[in-house]
Amino acid sequence: MPIRCLEIRAKDIEQFTAVRLSPGTLYEALARLERRGMIEPVPSEDRRRPYRLTAAGATALRAHLDAQRRVTGVGLRRLAARPGTP
Amino acid sequence: MSAEDRARRLVRCYPRSWRERYGAEFELLLVDDITDRPRAWRRTLDVVWSGARTRIAVAARAGADGPPDTRVRAGLGALGAAVAAFLALGIAIWSQLAVGWQWSAPSATTTRVAMMAMTAALVAFALLAALAVLPLSVAVARAVARRPRSAMTAGLAIALAGAAVLIAGSIHFGHGWPGTGGHPWADRDLVPGWIARPCWAATLWITSYWVHPHALAAFPTAELAWMAISPLAAGAIVAGGALTLRRTPLGARLLAHLARLALATAAVMGAFLAGASCWIVADGPATHGLFRVGAIDVVALAAMTAALWLGARAAARAVRAVRAVRAVGAVGA
Repeated sequence: MPIRCLEIRAKDIEQFTAVRLSPGTLYEALARLERRGMIEPVPSEDRRRPYRLTAAGATALRAHLDAQRRVTGVGLRRLAARPGTP
Repeated sequence: MSAEDRARRLVRCYPRSWRERYGAEFELLLVDDITDRPRAWRRTLDVVWSGARTRIAVAARAGADGPPDTRVRAGLGALGAAVAAFLALGIAIWSQLAVGWQWSAPSATTTRVAMMAMTAALVAFALLAALAVLPLSVAVARAVARRPRSAMTAGLAIALAGAAVLIAGSIHFGHGWPGTGGHPWADRDLVPGWIARPCWAATLWITSYWVHPHALAAFPTAELAWMAISPLAAGAIVAGGALTLRRTPLGARLLAHLARLALATAAVMGAFLAGASCWIVADGPATHGLFRVGAIDVVALAAMTAALWLGARAAARAVRAVRAVRAVGAVGA
């Protein structure tokens, strides 16, 4: 399902990271992702244009999340191995 | 001012090609953000900074896409903008040193060599400008004669008005400073005073006084007005020239000639930059007065290096596009 860029900013990024991206930074990232073929605009009658992940974008995101999961797993295991860690 | 008006104004920070693609949706996002947080200076800074970065990125890619003749024009346009910024900063540095030399010759040999290199580069710039302007003037005159009431004519009028203001003001204010006007030795050293004076006055606005408002307040009102007007006049020359040339038909031979000059211009920019760098390196405890390097000179040198990088890339792209035009012509023949 396509996600509006407004929703990505307000609901996802702000909720997950507690950081509110300014419009300029958000659109720089959006334009870069589109240039690299990671996302594409979805035709819309509204001037607010929704975007969706492309197949290449989904592959890159999956690889990125897998890498993050590995880093998180290693980090949590090492933290658990520390003496005195509850 | 309404949120819509503020958003529209902020969107103008971005280049036209970006606005055509993202302008409408970005404006809506800004309207929502401004309604949410009416007074957020961080948002304004973020958009202005992002717009400037996008403009630089677009300028760096100028001439990379489209048909060959469009790529030649885009490359030459990007080089023109880079040269304009480079020369404004370069002339500010050079004229300060030229004026300083009229009071006393620099003690450091490196500074002398730097001044000679910069002066020789400026003479080369003037020759290249003449070689470019002469055929371009003929092309523009033909196009204006064909369509006298057009945006091209308006652009030409803007450029000529800007040039008239800049030349008249520079001559007037060049005489206004005791270091450059009426001095008995004013015409005796490396650069004649009648050249150094107007160059110094034309770039008077490139100064660190802007961050020292108390010192700036002591300037005469007319001089302050000139420091505000002169960059606008220089901008009018560049904008009017771009508006005119964008709509002037330029033949393949003229574009090839301009592309050759573009490569030479990038080389001359490099020579000037080398001279200016010599002066910065030569700075030391023995350097006095107008030969002393300030923070603004170092910043200007960094900006000139960026302009050279952009200009050289644009010139190289213009030359490649000219080859592509020739290849298309050869295939067509």
